[in-house]
Amino acid sequence: MADLSDLPEPVVRRKRRHLPSAIWIVPALAILAGAVLAVRTYLSSGPTIKITFENADGLDADKADVRFKNVPVGKVTSVDLADDHRHVVATVELSRGASSLAVKDSQFWVERPRVGVGGVSGLETLLSGAYIGVDIGTSTDRADEFVGLEKPPSVTRDQRGSRFELTATDAGSLAVRSPVYLRRVSVGWVTAANLASDGKTVNLEVFVQAPYDKDVTDKTVFWNSSGLDVALDANGLRVDAQSLATVVAGGIAFDVRDPHAPGAAPRAGATYELYPDRARAMAPPEGIRVAAKLRFRDDIRGIGVGTPLDLGGIQLGVVDAVQPGYDDATHAFYFDVTASVFPERLGPAYTAVTALAPGKPVAEALQTLVARGLHAQIRSGNLVTGQAYVALAWFVAPPSAKAGAIATDHGAWVIPTEPGGSDVLQKQVQEIVAKIDHIPFDAIGANVQGMTASANALVGHLDRDVAPEAAKAFVQAQGAIAAMRQVIASIGDNVAAPDSAIQQSTRATLEELDRAAYSMRSLADYLEHHPESLLRGRASGDEPRGK
Amino acid sequence: MTAHARALRARDLGLVACEACELVMTDPHRDTDDRLHCPRCGEPVHRRKVNTTARAWAFLIAALALYFPANVLVMMKTVQFPLRRADTIWSGVVFLWERGTWDLALIVLVASIVVPLVKLVALATLLVTTRRKSRFRPRARTRLYRVLETIGHWSMLDVFVVSLLTAVVQLGRFASVAPGPAVLPFAGVVVLTMLASASFDPRTIWDFDGQEPARG
Repeated sequence: MADLSDLPEPVVRRKRRHLPSAIWIVPALAILAGAVLAVRTYLSSGPTIKITFENADGLDADKADVRFKNVPVGKVTSVDLADDHRHVVATVELSRGASSLAVKDSQFWVERPRVGVGGVSGLETLLSGAYIGVDIGTSTDRADEFVGLEKPPSVTRDQRGSRFELTATDAGSLAVRSPVYLRRVSVGWVTAANLASDGKTVNLEVFVQAPYDKDVTDKTVFWNSSGLDVALDANGLRVDAQSLATVVAGGIAFDVRDPHAPGAAPRAGATYELYPDRARAMAPPEGIRVAAKLRFRDDIRGIGVGTPLDLGGIQLGVVDAVQPGYDDATHAFYFDVTASVFPERLGPAYTAVTALAPGKPVAEALQTLVARGLHAQIRSGNLVTGQAYVALAWFVAPPSAKAGAIATDHGAWVIPTEPGGSDVLQKQVQEIVAKIDHIPFDAIGANVQGMTASANALVGHLDRDVAPEAAKAFVQAQGAIAAMRQVIASIGDNVAAPDSAIQQSTRATLEELDRAAYSMRSLADYLEHHPESLLRGRASGDEPRGK
Repeated sequence: MTAHARALRARDLGLVACEACELVMTDPHRDTDDRLHCPRCGEPVHRRKVNTTARAWAFLIAALALYFPANVLVMMKTVQFPLRRADTIWSGVVFLWERGTWDLALIVLVASIVVPLVKLVALATLLVTTRRKSRFRPRARTRLYRVLETIGHWSMLDVFVVSLLTAVVQLGRFASVAPGPAVLPFAGVVVLTMLASASFDPRTIWDFDGQEPARG
């Protein structure tokens, strides 16, 4: 072993500080980090809630989650049968930030693929599997047990718009989610359709999305636009449909009657009437209803419930019922028609009518019109379809004697009737037939026959008297022609024969002429050479040359 | 090591060696905590690893603090259509076991749960016995320390698996892997146990008053 005393010594640079070692920061940090992680994990696990469903179709524990607006806000940790074996209970662990949705009026439902007439929804769940949808309630009371809906709620709370109550006599083909149209634009849907408690009407609730809910005013009318609106009435055939979807799925349309008077915002909780079709919805507001009674003794074919009561083109009322009766005295059937008359449809004239019987019911005022000759008559509105209407018209001049002869019947306006328009038409046709009957076709026929006979006689006379004379004349004419031919032939013989006297004399004459012409030529030549001879005469010896 | 009448440490002879240039020096400041430097090369001269006990304990406690979140929290989130899973280490082992891949389950179990735990316990044991200047089987404890140093980094397996899968399996909606919040504490446990074992000075196992240890 070497001598240790010769070894060098290490150099002391610095005294060690007696402070706690900085190394203890490491575990402190680690503990802090672990604590933070633990706290964060604890905080991120929100409350656990239980939701009861009818069945757990497509709902798997660990796979399904809870989504609000398609944002996962929790997960299904287990799906168990309820104690009563009728339901399933899904245990859901909400994430921390979503604990606010565990309030009393939150709604939960299982989102699955659904196919309806209104469209397809939840298609994405075909791939991702069902999930639980949630609509956060507004309550502040916390809850941890919920009863899930079987269908998604038709309106979630985050959708802006307004709900309106409608009453209808009949739901038609309307159902929840049936669309609501404004000028054929889908602006909402039916959210509830329930029978009223008395079972006589249907209460519908519709949701109209903002901003179109502002178009629903106190003047708005709703009507059922389901299917094809085929109307066959006195105005002919009309077909109306909102859209192909409404033909299948039904729908509601709304509008205001008068676009120039859109009306004001409706009262809260106002209930609207759902008219069965657009025509009835758009009809002028009915106002006061006055019952009217009419008794027809003639054919009322074409008159039924809904037949209009027409005053100069204005639909003043509508037939409510037709009741046949038998009149023992006249041994004839009659028909009692009850109708609703809406005198306010007369517009400004309504005040004039009421002025007729001031201070009395409107029916009394209307009754005075009857005394002035306003009667009812069935008239044919459409010859093709046979639809008829009840026309109110003036039929007799105001006979003061009859004034007030007919009184109102228990407040109902009693309107006397005139023979129907169809009867009038029938009579006119009958008259035409009668006139045709009066035409003396027999006499005309006899005349024609006489004319034919005399014509026959004339022809016979001609045949008998004129024809033989004519034949004689023809024979004579033939003789004359033959004689003429002989004359012509003899002339030809006399003239054309070479040794005939005419021929010889003619030839002699021509020779004579020839000579005369020669002489003339000689004279002309001489005169040409001796023009003076015309004055002095011919010089001697100066013979004109010639042959 | 065969038995000797006396087992002297360098310290017992008042000597200290430079770890850089191996210069042997006398150590007159043996009882002080002064910082020594080599007169030849200037490097610090340590009789033992600096502050070994405190450092080892500190790292050990830090590792222990992170061990719990590492095992309780979600390690790996997987989407394997239509299933979505969020596995802790233990649920992953159970899942693999139930799938029938018990070999993989054992590997994950050993590498991710047993090894870190064994390291923590073993280091704690070493530190406690050393502090109490235990004479119990110092050779076995020294070997244990060597084993700890060797297997230490293999327990990063889980972190590697998650990192690899996260990078590779990204098929959107149909299959994807994302790391969970347990990954960081788990990596922390592994790193801190490695640091703890590195801070531990095996020489302290033999610092029991210079007495001949029991055979081990």
